[in-house]
Amino acid sequence: MMRGHSRYGRIFVTYPLLVLISFIGLLPFYWMVACSFKTNENMFLMPLQWFPNPINWNAYGDAWKAQDFTRYFLNTTFIAVAITFGNLLLGSLAGYSLSKFRYFGRGVLFLLILSTMMLPLEVTMVPLFLIVKKFGWPNTYEGLIVPFVVDGFGVFLMRQYLKSIPNELIEAARIDGASELRIYWQIVMPLCKPALAALGVFTFREAWDMYIWPLIIVTKDSLRTLPLGISLFMSSFGTSWDQLMAVAAIGTLPMVLLFFFLQRSFIQGISISGLKN
Amino acid sequence: MRLFKRFLAVVLLVSVTWICSSTVDAATAPKQTKPGFAFPTENITIEVWWHEYGPFTAYVKELIEAYKKLHPNVTVNATIASSTDMNQKLTVALASGTGPDIMDADASYYVAYYAKGILEPANLGVFGVKSYPELAARYVSGGLASGTFDGKIYTLPYQGNSMSLFINNKLFAAAGLDPKKDAPKTWKDLMALGPKLKKVEGKRTVQKAFEFPYHSPRWQLQDLQPLTEQFGGKLLSDDGKTAYLNSPETLKALTLWRDVTKACGDPKNTKSTASNPNQDFLDGFTAMWITGPWATPQVQASPIKNDFTVVGLPQVNPAKPHTMVYGWAWGVNKNKPENSKIVAWDFVRFMLSKPDEWLAKAGFVQPIKGVSETPVAKKFPFFNVHMKDVQTATWYMRSENVNEIAQAVGRAVDSVVYDDADPKTALDAAQAQVEKILKK
Amino acid sequence: MSASGSTQSRSLRKLFRLNIAAKQALFAYAIILPTLAVIVIFRFLPMLQAFYISLHEYDLIRPPTFIGFRNFIDLVQDPLFLQSAWVSFIYVVFSCVPVWVLALALAVLFNREIRAKNFFRSATFMPVVMPAVVNAVVWTFMYHQDGVVNTILAWFGIDPIPWLRSSKWALWAVILIGIWRATPYYMVIFLAGLQAIPQRYYEAAQIDGASSWNQFRHITLPLLKPTTLLVMVMSVIVALKVFAVPLIMTGGGPADATRVLPLFIYQTAFEFFKMGRAAAMSVFLFAAVMIFTIFQIRLFSRGED
Repeated sequence: MMRGHSRYGRIFVTYPLLVLISFIGLLPFYWMVACSFKTNENMFLMPLQWFPNPINWNAYGDAWKAQDFTRYFLNTTFIAVAITFGNLLLGSLAGYSLSKFRYFGRGVLFLLILSTMMLPLEVTMVPLFLIVKKFGWPNTYEGLIVPFVVDGFGVFLMRQYLKSIPNELIEAARIDGASELRIYWQIVMPLCKPALAALGVFTFREAWDMYIWPLIIVTKDSLRTLPLGISLFMSSFGTSWDQLMAVAAIGTLPMVLLFFFLQRSFIQGISISGLKN
Repeated sequence: MRLFKRFLAVVLLVSVTWICSSTVDAATAPKQTKPGFAFPTENITIEVWWHEYGPFTAYVKELIEAYKKLHPNVTVNATIASSTDMNQKLTVALASGTGPDIMDADASYYVAYYAKGILEPANLGVFGVKSYPELAARYVSGGLASGTFDGKIYTLPYQGNSMSLFINNKLFAAAGLDPKKDAPKTWKDLMALGPKLKKVEGKRTVQKAFEFPYHSPRWQLQDLQPLTEQFGGKLLSDDGKTAYLNSPETLKALTLWRDVTKACGDPKNTKSTASNPNQDFLDGFTAMWITGPWATPQVQASPIKNDFTVVGLPQVNPAKPHTMVYGWAWGVNKNKPENSKIVAWDFVRFMLSKPDEWLAKAGFVQPIKGVSETPVAKKFPFFNVHMKDVQTATWYMRSENVNEIAQAVGRAVDSVVYDDADPKTALDAAQAQVEKILKK
Repeated sequence: MSASGSTQSRSLRKLFRLNIAAKQALFAYAIILPTLAVIVIFRFLPMLQAFYISLHEYDLIRPPTFIGFRNFIDLVQDPLFLQSAWVSFIYVVFSCVPVWVLALALAVLFNREIRAKNFFRSATFMPVVMPAVVNAVVWTFMYHQDGVVNTILAWFGIDPIPWLRSSKWALWAVILIGIWRATPYYMVIFLAGLQAIPQRYYEAAQIDGASSWNQFRHITLPLLKPTTLLVMVMSVIVALKVFAVPLIMTGGGPADATRVLPLFIYQTAFEFFKMGRAAAMSVFLFAAVMIFTIFQIRLFSRGED
């Protein structure tokens, strides 16, 4: 009886609902891409044009030429990759230290690191800027990378994951006379691959998204990141919507690709962010 | 335990030292400029910043190339920023000692840079004059007012834009109006045109007769200032210390603003943005719009082409006209080596030396004497209208707190126009906000 | 003799082991050191320094002057700051509560047997993939008076809404985007929480004839408690941080309707160049984060008693 009930429910409620939700989720993506192929005259046509006609092939090329987007793209990629690697390396080292060693102050250190997850950048951006200024790092890659090279979340995630790795494996390697660094690199790290992948994708997404910090410390064109480039492009005289949508689409593409090729890690990174002991 | 305590102590110590030492390097002590002018012979690199605007950028790049040919020992590096965040970028860079030799800023910001001791006065030797008044005499009256502090000239404007009324001829003709004869001279005239030029289909506005700007507080200040002055008031005292935002004159100005908007426009329907402020006019969506001569190339490139008319800013009392001039200017960084500063001023002089080219290539009007007689100016549409409006103008408000004042003004305008707030209440609030800021 | 020998070797072994332990501890300290350095220098020091700067007047260029607690006193009396705090509060409440409900509902939906689950789940998840700046740019376009959102509303006979051009609607426009982007994110977390609930509880309940609502009420919800708490804490912190979308879409207007605290802090620091005042605002924001978090944790631990 219940099965029958739920079957009708599925056909008449669940699936229409799913279609509606998917529509809402995908509409901005569709609209962005569709409008990047519209001509500017048709952009605000009433009634609205749902499919670009005629198709305007020039927006992508024109937009890319209008500003140095290649540079912005490479900058963002470089910064995001560097931050990701930093988090993987330092986060796993710290997580390893916190999970597999006993030493004085471990609990306090863990709490210290964990508490930074509660500390949004927006709270510290003003003094952080002054500190980075003191290092002479405004307008440098260091200034964009170093403050974010490790994060409370990464340490937390790695520690949780490493706890599940049996100590015997490490002990056995120690008895075999392997050095500590070697144990970390050749035994522990390979076992962490799923966690590393999840953390990597998660960090990369966050780094790709970074806006407020580059906005504060970057003034040189040669250091602009893609989000800065896009918002600058939006606030430049005479930017047309088709070009703006084209640039937006290109800025989203890497994330979409990352999602489709590393879907599992992508989702895992987020669901692990919800783990708590 | 002890180890940890020690560790903590060290961390604490380090942080305390850090905090105490983190007061930031103040600007270095001012140095005296050498009199006379000898162009340096060694290799010198200077950096110039300017704000992004297509034709302007192209022209400055051209000037840099030309200057390199004149002075092979000078390298000019360029940084281009968006007009909306130029002031922020500049201040941050100056604070961290990476500021440019030549800066480009909205003229109204320079008072803050002057107060912070960043500006180098104009090098008289470079300009071949003996005194500041002699330099000022080359400009139209008041042309250098925005960059003169305590009797010295610190910045030179490359654009001093009048704010005049642009009219779309086709929309006028479609309403049976003649853009020459029926052009409004007063705000009353303009409001009378509202019903003829505004079109509504159902609940959608499809054409606006005229509109004040709503896309940015700075633009709102730019229009409220001359309105208030036309009523005989002012927004800020000359010393910048007293605000008169809730004076009877300002109240009249804001009330007029609201009534004009009601009769002529619909701020809710617009495609204009802070970066494309002229969009509605260019699209033929607004029949009349107040903007500067710099918009002329944009209008000519739009579907309007040359089918437009420019008339003077509408007045409260045409017998006593009052207008506004707004612009950007070059300044030189004081905290640079002497020779760099000489080269910097010489490059500024070089850049500004052909006002007709500025007009032709960037559409910018230098408030300098003799431009009107050049062939370019004679060909430039409605040049004399713009120049006439410049001569009855005051510069855009000069204050260290101009951004906050503009926000207070914008807030008052928004709440009156969008939320039907009482103009007096809105202005009282704005006045209170600004007084608080100025008191410090 | 043999006894003493064994004691000796035992103490030697102990010493040796201790040595190993010390070495290991040293290694453990060494590998956590870089992380600690970054966190102390770039997280804690700025926090401490925020307090320090907040007691000063400082415009980045002229040297700072000490003014005691004046920034704090001024802020508490400043209607603009209070307005901004209020906007942030409204944003947090109205963007978070719907997200909790929707995310949980979607998670329950996707925890069922569904055909083409992968497609639907990916489509639902897509908003998470869109960078914040792109999000702001695309929605600005969609919210236009003649844009796609108003067109869809017109299908249902709703008059065009001046989304970003009205102080009444602008904040809701920003909130809607927040919900759109955050819901799938927390759905994934809820989904992980749901999947961790052992199936046998439900089987037992079904044998007892419990309705699906009762199952949800008495099994799912209580067991999801830790996940829910985490989602609540995380979403509030994320909502308090919202910045790119209001900055790009409205710049905080019209009439300050969308000027959330981070945006006001940014403007105060980097447009008005009042670093001390901005730092004082940061201190308030930090307090807000702490209060929200503690409040939520309290709420939950009381429920457990």
